[in-house]
Amino acid sequence: MRNDPIKYFFIWPALLIVLGISIFPLIYSLTTSFMSYRLVPPSPPRFVGLDNYASLLTNPRFWQVTWTTSLIAFVSVAIQYVIGFAVALALHAKVPGERLFRVTFLLPMLIAPVAVALIARQIFNPTVGPLNELMTFFGFPNLPFLTQTYWAIGALITVEVWQWTPFIILMLLAGLATLPDDVYEAAALENASKWQQFWGITFPMMLPISAAVVFIRLIESYKIIDTVFVLTGGGPGISTETLTLFAYQEGFKKFNLGYTSALSFLFLITITVIGVVYLAILKPHLAKHR
Amino acid sequence: MRKMLLGASAVAALTLAAGGAQAACEPDYSGVTLTAASQTGPYIASALQSAGEEWAKKTCGKVNVVEFPWSELYPKIVTSLSSGEETFDVITFAPAWSPDFTDFLAETPEAMRQGAAWEDIAPIYREQLMVWNGKTLSQTIDGDVHTYTYRIDLFEDPKEQEAFKAKYGYDLAVPKTWQQYLDIAEFFTRPDQGLWGTAEAYRRGGQQFWFFFSHAAAYTNVPGQPGAMFFDPDTMDANINNPGWVRGLEEYVKSSKFAPPNALNFSFGEVNAAVAGGQVAQSIGWGDTGVIAADKAQSKIAGNVGSDILPGSTEIYDYKTKDWKKFDEVVHSPFMAFGGWQAAVPATSQQQEAAWNFIEFLSSPEVSGKAAVTGGTGVNPYRISHTTNMDLWKSLFTEREAKEYLAGQANSLAAPNVVLDMRLPGYFSYTEVVEIELSKALAGEVTAQQALDTVAAEWNRLTDEFGRENQLAAYRAAMGLPPK
Repeated sequence: MRNDPIKYFFIWPALLIVLGISIFPLIYSLTTSFMSYRLVPPSPPRFVGLDNYASLLTNPRFWQVTWTTSLIAFVSVAIQYVIGFAVALALHAKVPGERLFRVTFLLPMLIAPVAVALIARQIFNPTVGPLNELMTFFGFPNLPFLTQTYWAIGALITVEVWQWTPFIILMLLAGLATLPDDVYEAAALENASKWQQFWGITFPMMLPISAAVVFIRLIESYKIIDTVFVLTGGGPGISTETLTLFAYQEGFKKFNLGYTSALSFLFLITITVIGVVYLAILKPHLAKHR
Repeated sequence: MRKMLLGASAVAALTLAAGGAQAACEPDYSGVTLTAASQTGPYIASALQSAGEEWAKKTCGKVNVVEFPWSELYPKIVTSLSSGEETFDVITFAPAWSPDFTDFLAETPEAMRQGAAWEDIAPIYREQLMVWNGKTLSQTIDGDVHTYTYRIDLFEDPKEQEAFKAKYGYDLAVPKTWQQYLDIAEFFTRPDQGLWGTAEAYRRGGQQFWFFFSHAAAYTNVPGQPGAMFFDPDTMDANINNPGWVRGLEEYVKSSKFAPPNALNFSFGEVNAAVAGGQVAQSIGWGDTGVIAADKAQSKIAGNVGSDILPGSTEIYDYKTKDWKKFDEVVHSPFMAFGGWQAAVPATSQQQEAAWNFIEFLSSPEVSGKAAVTGGTGVNPYRISHTTNMDLWKSLFTEREAKEYLAGQANSLAAPNVVLDMRLPGYFSYTEVVEIELSKALAGEVTAQQALDTVAAEWNRLTDEFGRENQLAAYRAAMGLPPK
């Protein structure tokens, strides 16, 4: 039975369908990225080789949006991880009201990003927003949260942290639940302090899941568009524009399909490079604690 | 005998019923289903839906309104037109897309282009926006021109009038010039009272560039030089960084200083909210502002909504002579921002007669008049009767509000120096760079001249990329100029 060729008869169609569905769009997009192909004004597809890539790589806007996206992704994920780990540890330690906290902390993650952005836009509103009202109450001036570059990037990072820290909490809490008790008991017998237990046991043992969670969040953060679109529209200028918003502008406002496809692949390459570097940096640490 | 009588009665009843049905179908489009493409509602789509239902009752035909998100509408239409498919019988679209569609559209029937209903359409639409290279190819179904809105209670308060005159040396009144508009904005900027001088859209991606164009139109649209505001209509060189445009941008940026603190994040929706919330003394924008501000259910200033034509200027920069032309009287150059939704019939439609009949019905004085005063349809006045039939507007405005609102609309559309928005292939490529540079200028990162120099360079690059000859031909056609 094991060598019966009939098995190929059943497997190949399914395999081809799966490959077709998942690979075809990528191949189509890759092919388009080598074309000069615009819907507005309509121009028939024309092979231009690597021109779209060269044009993007020499476009200062591409580098600025890559920098902005990276800044938002790395800073927000770092903050999410620190807060997420702290909250997960607190919840794992069964603080009073832990069940209520657990549900409450998860709520932001369940809200659609556009809705979160709308809520944030109201909170950051300088005239009727509660944040600036509070600041006014304490005698501070109104701050241009969404209209000056640094404040706007800070606001975007804050919203990201607010919405996605619960994801980190959830994942790390699951990881903490799997840690064996006997290791801690042995450490306690050796009079290891809580701090020593954290750095000597918890953190190293949580490293694999931490690495995975941070990696997932990094990739997801690079795709940020909803909150930027609603909160700042990418402005002022292009100072808060992210890679995905840039791709949206090129693809769905200017209908520059060839250029947008090239941008998508550069985006993919950027993510891949970050992923490879990230895993390369972590590899020795992961191997050490395996 | 009884059977015969019953049979005769039945035949008579059926005949009457059939006759009645025939009378209801006028003209009779029984069995005809029109597919109409629209952006996702409620704006425009709801007007199509309700007109479709009425049209169905009248003609026994059916209208199937297919809605697409804004970003999907253009590609759906352009691909169906260019592929020659008979996907839609009626398309509704932004005027900026006209250059890409006109080759594929059926001409408006001769019968529709005459009579009182035709003459009732404001000439700027009938003779320019609906016409492409001498052919009428679309029907305006929404009017879009920027007008001015102000608070009557503030402007007519004797104390305010006295204080204003003492400070500026002239009477507080509806501004004739943009300088007066800025004076008024400065005068009413009182954060401690929760009052600011003006509200405009300043947000990137929030219709901001149309507001800037309204300022710039006053200084760049030289009477007697049609179509020269955006580009030189002979060479297609960008005019957008000349001193007239720079002045327009400087004043647009200055106006933002007299707007509520969050105004740099204002789209048109927030402008309307600020006006209706009584936060600002005046504003500019589309006709929706007056309608929303006059609505008691959502406005704090209902009953005090004044309207007028946009401010103008006594000097306009002439790009040919490269100096400022002086005028004895203020020249108003109201800007037809966006231009208003168009409806057209693809040449591939097999239901062209019924499709044009539906468009005629949709844009008829009665149906469009009702839509214009119905909130959420997105239909603003584009017929003369829309601005003269006071009865239509009584449900929305007080008599004075209605008079001013309609006069503002009518005077704008009829202004000798009214400015058409540009309609060019690649429109959003051109306007995107304007948006980016505007938001930099508003944030103080670049000067007005630097911002517009960047825009001009990019516009010239885009024109070369898209083909200067093609762009020039489209631009001239859009501005109603003969081909070169």
